[in-house]
Amino acid sequence: MKDRVLNTSIMTGLTAVVVVVIGMLASVPKSSAIPAFSRKYQTSCTTCHSNYPELNDFGEAFKKNGFKFPKDDESFVKEPPVMLGAKAQKEAFPTAVYPGEIPGTVPIAFRYEGNFNVNRRQPAGFIQQNGFAPRTDLFAPNTLTIIAAGSFGQNLSFWIDDDISVGGANADGGLGDGYLKYNDLGHAIGLPKNALNVRFGQFELDLPFTQARSIYLSPFDIYEQASAAGSLGTTKNPTIFGEPQRGVEFGGTPNNGNFAWSVAVVNGSNADAALRSSKDVYVRVSQKFNLERDSESRNAIQAAGPTGPRDHTSLRAGFFYYYGKNQQNQDGALFPGLATIQEPFYRVGGDLRFKYRKLELYGLGMYGHDDNHVVTEGDPPTIAGAPAVTFSGGFAGANYWFYPWLIGTFHYDAVNSHADFINGNPLSQYQTRNRFSPGFQVLVRANIKVVGEYQYTFGQPYVDPITGNALFFRPNAFQAGIDYVF
Amino acid sequence: MSLSGIAARAVVAAGIALTVVGAVRANEIKGKVSVQGIKSAANIAVYVDAIPDKKFEAPKEHIVVDQRKMSFIPHVVAVQQGTTVDFLNSDSVGHNVYWPSISGNKSLKHNLGTWPQGDKKPFQFNDLGVASLLCNVHPEMSGYVVIVPTPYFTVTDKDGNFEIKNVPAGKYTLKTWSEDGKPTTQGVDVSAASTTVELTVKK
Repeated sequence: MKDRVLNTSIMTGLTAVVVVVIGMLASVPKSSAIPAFSRKYQTSCTTCHSNYPELNDFGEAFKKNGFKFPKDDESFVKEPPVMLGAKAQKEAFPTAVYPGEIPGTVPIAFRYEGNFNVNRRQPAGFIQQNGFAPRTDLFAPNTLTIIAAGSFGQNLSFWIDDDISVGGANADGGLGDGYLKYNDLGHAIGLPKNALNVRFGQFELDLPFTQARSIYLSPFDIYEQASAAGSLGTTKNPTIFGEPQRGVEFGGTPNNGNFAWSVAVVNGSNADAALRSSKDVYVRVSQKFNLERDSESRNAIQAAGPTGPRDHTSLRAGFFYYYGKNQQNQDGALFPGLATIQEPFYRVGGDLRFKYRKLELYGLGMYGHDDNHVVTEGDPPTIAGAPAVTFSGGFAGANYWFYPWLIGTFHYDAVNSHADFINGNPLSQYQTRNRFSPGFQVLVRANIKVVGEYQYTFGQPYVDPITGNALFFRPNAFQAGIDYVF
Repeated sequence: MSLSGIAARAVVAAGIALTVVGAVRANEIKGKVSVQGIKSAANIAVYVDAIPDKKFEAPKEHIVVDQRKMSFIPHVVAVQQGTTVDFLNSDSVGHNVYWPSISGNKSLKHNLGTWPQGDKKPFQFNDLGVASLLCNVHPEMSGYVVIVPTPYFTVTDKDGNFEIKNVPAGKYTLKTWSEDGKPTTQGVDVSAASTTVELTVKK
């Protein structure tokens, strides 16, 4: 019966989405209105995106090249930049300011995202213990993001994105990424193009699969995992792997972008101010194996398909490692009488991504380890080592382009956390919290999307108020969203 | 032969010569296309429609349509039926050329694929109509090949002016095709060396 009610709700939601999509498709497409780069180059989103914000091979090359076309960039620019000094001023340096440029028009774009949520009907006992969630919620979250990006001449590029309405009416949002990047730093010492770049500011780490610019409505759960020992000890690590960090990153994409490396030194407190003097280090390397048979296609930015350029058939394999040393009780307030508690931690993992024509398969596995302690009260209190707080998990998924405008999506997420399970945060039936998320995405225009995702999630325990039996409830949900950029 | 006989023969010969010259004289049709409800009178194809009982050999000369700075150049090209068009890629980015139909006939759709910078790909247009040139990765790119039945055609300049040369004397049907306007049809009598025509294309 519950399933039937749920199915009816889902069908109602799906019908509404289909009606909206058909209505939007029925009007005649005229143009693709898009953000800053589209205006600069007078080109459609699809030049760089296979399903925005996911980049195609050309978009990846554009990004790696400092937001410039990989070849002959100047010939494609339709909005000339404003020169901040003649090019010949380079010869006058250091007696003159080194010449630069800024975009010809303010390179600002906007993105709006709003979701329609249908939640599974909650049993009475579950509501009593976990609080009430309405069956439906219209356009939540309701997010407007400002994006500014571009280049300041040959080697400098920048990116700033800020969610300005995420917490309700007139609430403040937060800065996502805000960085300045210098490309091709190694040119002067004869390194291959873009083999050595550096960026400064606040940025998402060089993650194997971006969280900030994900196409999905639900996050990659393993990226969001926080290590907290709770009743098991002192570990309380604020670092969230998938959130932006403040720092400096060196990296490069030599060998035609097939090899990629990066080393970042970051605060470890995400977008917040530093909480400790030591810095964290993140390292990532990956190698793309280009599986195109035709050598000309293999070396081109995109492969030459029988019906047009397409992404290379390829396999990218990568490895990442994050190390930090969390500190607590620096001022003695948390554990009076004890010194600063040092708790080194690391995250390590590997990833794979395979692309073949209209199909994309990917997966990531990750393990987290935090040193842990127990404090024994007394006079004076004592501190001793305790079993480490660990977690493991990852995600795997697939995307398939039925048409260039209709994409089927799926991802499976799993997080295995003994500490979370013991502490009941978040509540789960087993130590592994998992979620299946099939969905669809419809590009109504190159800059307008309708997105749907069903989230079949792990069981959460509750007690039946009548029988007193321990039961489990899966708070599954369906989300449909609109998403447009301009 | 008497003087009068010579004069008579000369008159007859002159008459025959004038008749022959008149029949093959290369005239021109020129004029201007005005537009109503359309942004520009540029890039409108003007051509002489099929002439009954008259067939023309396909030209051997190829026409080039370039892909440069992510645009089809020229934006509109008119070609005689049977002409081979060479599609050149002058850009350093990958392009694709396809047309989803010729004048709505989807069985005539064609996809030429992708080729590197500097290379050309030929295609012979044997079917009358209009092929809308598209690129599947740069959907803003747009071009048109207008395939016409006679060798008497042109495309208007930015002001809507046109000139069709080497048209034999006769009565014809003049037609237009434009990207945003409706086709127009107008009779034209090409008897003088230069015939001026005013055409109006409406949205």
